[in-house]
Amino acid sequence: MATRSIAAYELKLAAPLAGFFVLFFIAPLLILFYVSMQSDTGTSLAQYARFLLDPFSLGVLGRTLWLGVEVTMLCLLLGFPLAWAYVRGPRWLQPVLILVVLLPLLTSVVVRTFACIVILGRQGIVNSALVSLGLIDTPLRLLYTEGGVIVALAQVQMPLMVLPLITALSRIDPNMDDASAALGAGAWRGFWRITVPLSLPGIIAGCMLTYAAAITAFITQSLVGGGQMLFMPMYIYQQATALQNWPFAAAISIVFLATVLAVVSVFNALGRLSRAHA
Amino acid sequence: MRRRMGWEAVSFRVTLWGLAILGVLLLTLPSVVVIVVSFTSGYSLKFPPPGYSFRWYVSLLDAWQLQFAAGNSLKIAIWTTTLSVLIGVPAALAIARSPTARAKVLDSLFMSPLVLPALSFGLAALMFFSLIGLSVSPLTLVIGHVIVCVPFVLRTTIASVAQLEPTLLESSASLGASRLYTFRRITLPLIRPGIMAGAFIAFMSSFDNVPVSLFLRDARTDMLPIRMWQDLEGKLDVSIAAVSGVMIVLTLSLMMLMERLAGLSRRLR
Amino acid sequence: MSTRRTLLTSALALGAMHLFPRLGAAQARLLVFATFTGSWEEAHKDVLVPAFRKATGADMVLDPMLSVDQIAKVKASLSNPPIDVMLHDPGPALVAIDQGLVEPYPVAESKHYADLITEAQVPTGPAPFFQVVGLTYNPDRVKTPPTSWADLWKPEYKGRVGITNLNSTLGTGFLVEIARMHGGSETNVDAGFQAIKDLKPNIAAVAANPGQLATLYQQGQVEIGPGNFNAIQILKARGVPVEFVSPKEGAIAFKTTIHIVKNSPNKELAFKLIEAALSPEVQAKLMGSPYLIVPTNSKVKMTGEVAKVLASSVEDLKKKFVFQDWTAINKQRASWIERFNREIA
Repeated sequence: MATRSIAAYELKLAAPLAGFFVLFFIAPLLILFYVSMQSDTGTSLAQYARFLLDPFSLGVLGRTLWLGVEVTMLCLLLGFPLAWAYVRGPRWLQPVLILVVLLPLLTSVVVRTFACIVILGRQGIVNSALVSLGLIDTPLRLLYTEGGVIVALAQVQMPLMVLPLITALSRIDPNMDDASAALGAGAWRGFWRITVPLSLPGIIAGCMLTYAAAITAFITQSLVGGGQMLFMPMYIYQQATALQNWPFAAAISIVFLATVLAVVSVFNALGRLSRAHA
Repeated sequence: MRRRMGWEAVSFRVTLWGLAILGVLLLTLPSVVVIVVSFTSGYSLKFPPPGYSFRWYVSLLDAWQLQFAAGNSLKIAIWTTTLSVLIGVPAALAIARSPTARAKVLDSLFMSPLVLPALSFGLAALMFFSLIGLSVSPLTLVIGHVIVCVPFVLRTTIASVAQLEPTLLESSASLGASRLYTFRRITLPLIRPGIMAGAFIAFMSSFDNVPVSLFLRDARTDMLPIRMWQDLEGKLDVSIAAVSGVMIVLTLSLMMLMERLAGLSRRLR
Repeated sequence: MSTRRTLLTSALALGAMHLFPRLGAAQARLLVFATFTGSWEEAHKDVLVPAFRKATGADMVLDPMLSVDQIAKVKASLSNPPIDVMLHDPGPALVAIDQGLVEPYPVAESKHYADLITEAQVPTGPAPFFQVVGLTYNPDRVKTPPTSWADLWKPEYKGRVGITNLNSTLGTGFLVEIARMHGGSETNVDAGFQAIKDLKPNIAAVAANPGQLATLYQQGQVEIGPGNFNAIQILKARGVPVEFVSPKEGAIAFKTTIHIVKNSPNKELAFKLIEAALSPEVQAKLMGSPYLIVPTNSKVKMTGEVAKVLASSVEDLKKKFVFQDWTAINKQRASWIERFNREIA
């Protein structure tokens, strides 16, 4: 008994939080599942059938998942060089870059989305600049378009991509680059053959966080997308509050939860694989 | 051969730095633009503004609905943070050093609110509370917020416990110190920055929470982000830019403070 | 260690309720008035709420939302409704009454009820104002004012038209009017749906509600479309270039009624708020600039902008405007909303 290390604490200490989670997290999710099984004819899978056999609903799900892919790709495209600049750039740049990444992460999502509205609006900075440069005559329609939603979401979720990438890139020995250069490999080749593969765990972690956040970002999707584009979170909200169709809303939620869970598991599996190889 | 490589190195640097600069612009430009627009003298969010004034900040003094919502959000965030620390830190201590499978399961359970769609949980919580007859109130809001905010406290605390030298604690014990004494005098001071960083992020994310509040709030417990969202949908008023300006400055100052006190940026990676 | 743990567990065991002395659910709550978003919220925030506070010394909060959302929220928790006073356009009002969500208005106790014009005297909830829906446009960008609903389909308005979805009376009323123009009616809107589909190339935005639609003019996102007379007035007073015009087919008019919610814990205060909304003082103030809200208290004569642009009396209003049959519309509205979201949005 006395051999137990003092550095360890009993698992019992986690009991309050575990109880809290069972009561207020697991129980609600079970209730959600129970409600989703309700229909006019008693307990059945009717709500799920309604969702899965309806091209409109499937379209909403598909669009939402694809939106996540597009946002994640954009975040990776801009986030990777940003993380790379943090790790390989001059030291004085590091505190500046970390501020640039952290401040948006901590700033309210509503504020950041609002900022996108201001930027993308017809009288916003993008249109003003293009018009005054003479590139266009009439302002472009940027708000309420899918492109607008992608850019806004990328802006909102980018810190989630950059932070794991910084961690991953910092772990790579900078001598690796020199070594590959010394062996005659070009900068691009070294980048693709060494830097990218070695940072794969960070890439996967960043993609997972960005993807999960992007497809559930209710505020950004609805404010920048406007009334014309329907994504899963708004679909759930509409069914639950405006239409008061709780069983269907619950079923959509469960489908959405399951999808996100599946995506996360795939990323986790990839992450394990990449760590094993890295 | 050498010339081609030189060109390749240049193209590599230009591309990566160019994209990095684009990324920095995408991250910073919005906040800068909002702050500039919040000082407009006009009625629209036009950029650049036709003139500058403090009128929209002055108008906040009369905005009782926004003030009411901000007060509520602050109250809920304080309760959420307190509760998250009180039950999150013991759990973090338990999990951090336990190699058992049970601890791993608990860890994934406690972290799952970070990746699962919070909107689904918000709806589930609403159904749950209405089933057990607890009507929507600050209490239900705090409970919902703790579920989605406690993972932050756990994450940073577990990370700082993991960095503790076990030998340090063992030597304290070998000198006859009780477990409680060791915890208070050695463990706690060492993990305090981790707890503080986690509490800070939990506070910010509770203050900013939308998906859970959406279902668990009502008019009496109006929350600032929801109020702002509805104002944006309903009026797209410049006063929202002023609120945003205030929030950006507050966030920045709090962040600087926490960087000093708890080394925030090191704990977020 | 054990003291700490006991403390923790007992704090939890006591139940979080004890941690929130002031926040318990049982406390008497503030009066909640679910007004509409946009200019109504502004008008009520500036005029009605202060009048209520002065009259009662009590405080209250506004929770602006569309009628359909008000009904959904009250229905979801009928025994303990989150709203005390609802505001409804004719369609949702019928639904709310039908579903037993409203308390009859204590007509006998009311000081102002008898002074209301006949149309506004509704025992389930009196009407504090009328609304008018016509065409709104940006005079800086649309040089020739539109004269007909049909103008919206002109190719020159490609990417410039703003509409709302059918959750609002504005959207549904517009759809019915368009259907009627193409041979349909309140019971058959197929032609209306087809016409809105044809309008798609011109549509710049589908707003969530009339308030948002109005702000899209302010932000320059849209330049022409069906619009609510009142929704644009505050913007106009602020110098936003936006004008209202009645189409030659006739603008749509309807009354808006205000109701005490069934099982409201604040019935007395709810009654006082509605009394304030019916009072000639408040109505006269709301008729003035910048709100220009059409009054229903016969002691308030229609003057100023309202008389000039809309109507000088109720008789005039009834003569000039189109009143739609909301009982007929309601029968299919839910399916139309669904259809709109699928086919247009």
